[in-house]
Amino acid sequence: MPLDDIALFSGYEYIFAALLILYLSGALLSLLVCRSQKGSNAVANVAAAAASLTGIIFCVCKLLIYNGRSFDINLKTGIYPISISFHIDNLSAFFVLVISLLAFVASIYSMGYLKHYYNSRNIGVFGFLYNLFIASMIMVVTSGNIFFFLVAWEIMSMVSYFLVVFENEKPETQRAGTIYIIMTHIGTAFIIAAFVLIYQYTGSASFAEINASGIPYAVKNVIFIFSLIGFGTKAGIIPLHIWLPKAHPAAPGNISALMSGVMIKTAAYGIIRIVFDILGGGYLWWGTAILLLGGISAIVGIAFAFMEIDIKKLLAYSSVENMGIIFIGIGLSSIACSNGNTVLAVFSLTASLLHIFNHSVFKGLLFLGAGSVHYSTGTRNMERLGGLIRKMPYTAMFFLAGALSISALPPFNGFVSEWAIYQALFASAGTGGSWMKIIIIVTAALLAIAGVLAAASFIKTFGTAFLALPRTSAAEEAKEAPRTMLAGMGILAALCLAAGIFPVHLLKLLDGINREMLNASIFQGAAGYSSLVLHSYEGNTSISPAALAIIGLLLIPAVLLAVRYMSKNSSFRNYGTWDCGYRRLDSRMQYTATGFSKPVRIVFRAFYRPQRELQIERGSSRYFFKRARYKVSTVSVFEKYLYEPIVRSVVNFARRMRLLIQTGSIHTYLIYIFVVVIAMLIYYARA
Amino acid sequence: MFQGIVKIVVQLIITAALAPLVSGIIKKLKARVQHRKGASVFQGYFDLLKLFKKDVVVSHNASWIFTATPYIYFVSILAASLFVPAIPQLFSFGFIGDAVLVVYLIAIGRFFMALSGMDTGSTFTGMGSSREMMISALIEPSMMLVLFTVGLNPLVGSLSFQAIYKGFAAPGWGFVSPSYLLLLISMLIIVIAETARIPVDDPSTHLELTMVHEAMLLEYSGRHLALMEISASIKQLLLITVICNVFIPFGSNAGVIQALGLYVLKVLVISGVIAVIEINSVKLRLFSVPNHAALAFILAVLGFMSSFVFGR
Repeated sequence: MPLDDIALFSGYEYIFAALLILYLSGALLSLLVCRSQKGSNAVANVAAAAASLTGIIFCVCKLLIYNGRSFDINLKTGIYPISISFHIDNLSAFFVLVISLLAFVASIYSMGYLKHYYNSRNIGVFGFLYNLFIASMIMVVTSGNIFFFLVAWEIMSMVSYFLVVFENEKPETQRAGTIYIIMTHIGTAFIIAAFVLIYQYTGSASFAEINASGIPYAVKNVIFIFSLIGFGTKAGIIPLHIWLPKAHPAAPGNISALMSGVMIKTAAYGIIRIVFDILGGGYLWWGTAILLLGGISAIVGIAFAFMEIDIKKLLAYSSVENMGIIFIGIGLSSIACSNGNTVLAVFSLTASLLHIFNHSVFKGLLFLGAGSVHYSTGTRNMERLGGLIRKMPYTAMFFLAGALSISALPPFNGFVSEWAIYQALFASAGTGGSWMKIIIIVTAALLAIAGVLAAASFIKTFGTAFLALPRTSAAEEAKEAPRTMLAGMGILAALCLAAGIFPVHLLKLLDGINREMLNASIFQGAAGYSSLVLHSYEGNTSISPAALAIIGLLLIPAVLLAVRYMSKNSSFRNYGTWDCGYRRLDSRMQYTATGFSKPVRIVFRAFYRPQRELQIERGSSRYFFKRARYKVSTVSVFEKYLYEPIVRSVVNFARRMRLLIQTGSIHTYLIYIFVVVIAMLIYYARA
Repeated sequence: MFQGIVKIVVQLIITAALAPLVSGIIKKLKARVQHRKGASVFQGYFDLLKLFKKDVVVSHNASWIFTATPYIYFVSILAASLFVPAIPQLFSFGFIGDAVLVVYLIAIGRFFMALSGMDTGSTFTGMGSSREMMISALIEPSMMLVLFTVGLNPLVGSLSFQAIYKGFAAPGWGFVSPSYLLLLISMLIIVIAETARIPVDDPSTHLELTMVHEAMLLEYSGRHLALMEISASIKQLLLITVICNVFIPFGSNAGVIQALGLYVLKVLVISGVIAVIEINSVKLRLFSVPNHAALAFILAVLGFMSSFVFGR
């Protein structure tokens, strides 16, 4: 190593330390100046923006220049083996990059967004939690040993809980917070169990030093199941998802963007770290399990999303879908790994990582957009919106960019990763056995339905909230969001397009992870790799979003000119929408969001179990009624058939135990203590 | 480079020229069977020319999405047709596109068409959008299954249409197998559903009963309507081309002129088949469409199973 290189290299650790300190000082300063709302707002967001900008630069440099090695920071504490230690390899750097990117944008956005909390909330506390939340996510993905990881994980869970219940006077927010904190701790319990097992069998707590080769087969399986449940809860994988569509909508807009955009990705980080880094790729059934769970989450998540009329709930369910797609990629990679096909494993893992990046960008954008709508109109119910494209043209444009990305339409970024996932499925079907072929083909079919339903969900959202006539006065009087909020969304919208047209540049950032996890590169073997063409596994097919964009850019003016030439004598006229010749069309006659999803609700009624309520108030005539109230709701099958029985039996058990052993009499309790002490004494005396 | 551009232009001309003719032929055949004389097969072109000259009326409620949609739909479907050329010699961009891309390029048009249906605030157009999304959610998995099965064929091993054309053209009649027949029927059902034909939808009316594709276009007029109509017929031709070159591939590796002639012949035959299906069936109730889609899906699954799990 040349001398100047060493100097630079060691300097990088300080940059990382500096960015954490920036977050923490932002948090503390924001509390200190909480008397001034403007001051708190500025301090918290400027510190977070500066820190995350540092993080972006740090990670891009790490991934492009120093991708051959990793950084370590170790601060020993008095208790062995617990130490504050950071280990930043390419995987960590990639996740820090994703977190920093969204945090940067969210901080810019927050400067405007927080204004509507002025005089009703303590901005200082928000700034404190906000900075701490981002810092804790960065600590989760950079922690170097399992104990520090758990500490960071717990900080992240607690801080995000406080942010979820930030608007704590609403009963549904409190309920959402409670469900969130319970579910997240069930998950944490499983993660702790998995980590304790790892520590017990390897005797090492540091991620870099753990050597899993000595762990017996059965224990490896148990570790895998525990971490799948633990991280799956955080990821919102079906059936562990129930907290997600409650907690994400309850949080303020900028926080839901961070939670859906990046916090749930820390679960993907955990799975990749455990399965690939620590346990070395895993067995065939691991990958199959991840794949199937991913496929089910994708279809069920989006099926629920399509029924929602609350924009943020819809987005939250769609996060479940996208985590499912990410899990499909991870599962395929693990399957390929266990079959010894490293090239395919690399391709699938890359597809999955690409989707992690893309999803954080477009889902962040959509949540920020939903936040803007809420900011301007005070509602998230799309049935009460409409016509916002005229009142909020920029928000509408950015939201549309996000909707196009999430519906995987070229040339936006969602398409690239979805294409890569399809190619990974295709290649895996080609190499697998009969059963694997069937599983994969079913997953591909599920993904296809999920794709159309995702598009349908966002047509519904955009169509009812932004297009046609305003349905309420709130929507009619909406004003465009402040400039800082638009700037935040604009950056993400531009990124959606850029990452969709130049995906190969992103792959170059990602490739270090492949070399680290699987000792292979996605760029090896593919002949004639250019920076504008994306090759599939073994180069058997390829797309070039850039060439596609050029075709589009050439065809659009050509078509415009041709059409103008052909219709040069025709004129353009504005007139009312066809109303069958009765009276003027009003907003109540428009198609509603509930109506839009009705055909699908009817076709899949066995799954949705729709329930409707119709109340009619009749006047003097039998045929014309004065008022009618129609309410339709779907049953959340997992809550009703899985969680409710569990909760009921736990409550029943507790009730019975109370009568049996927990009677409330102090004498009985003293006997318990006495018996336990005696038992312990006997046990230790024997030993 | 120059050759590539020539190929693109030729493909675009073939597509734009042939697409309205296919619709015209289907209409003519239907008319003859119903003992009507029917309009000329070239009526589609006259209609388009007329529409381009007509004035455009746009609703007060509509936003820029409504005006942009016809152009976006047209351009995206033209771009898609470049990746499914009439004959293998016309692959100008074979190396940068594949079946998944084509499916999603078609989806762009659907996305914007459904959005513009929501844009004018009319109940009818919104109903069309809603139903269109339901039907495509039901049809899309079969489409993906057929494409995957075709791509997984040992002769092909890729999802790019270039490889698919080449793989299927190579062995003469050797590609015919039970699996192939099942997939072909499934693909026919997919084409009928995707192009809004009887029994799924009726392209010749906009009654409430049949309000799917035509309902979405209800508010369009003039050049916008012309673009929407021609895009729909290009989409139809594109899907027919997939059948021609994948399921009836013989002759496609002959000389250019011969192959083009055969291609036109094959397109005419398949249009005839679609017309016959349309004549001999009735429009289904909207909520019977899932059964129809399930049939396509089951056939595709059986095709896949017999091909890869049971061998042939």
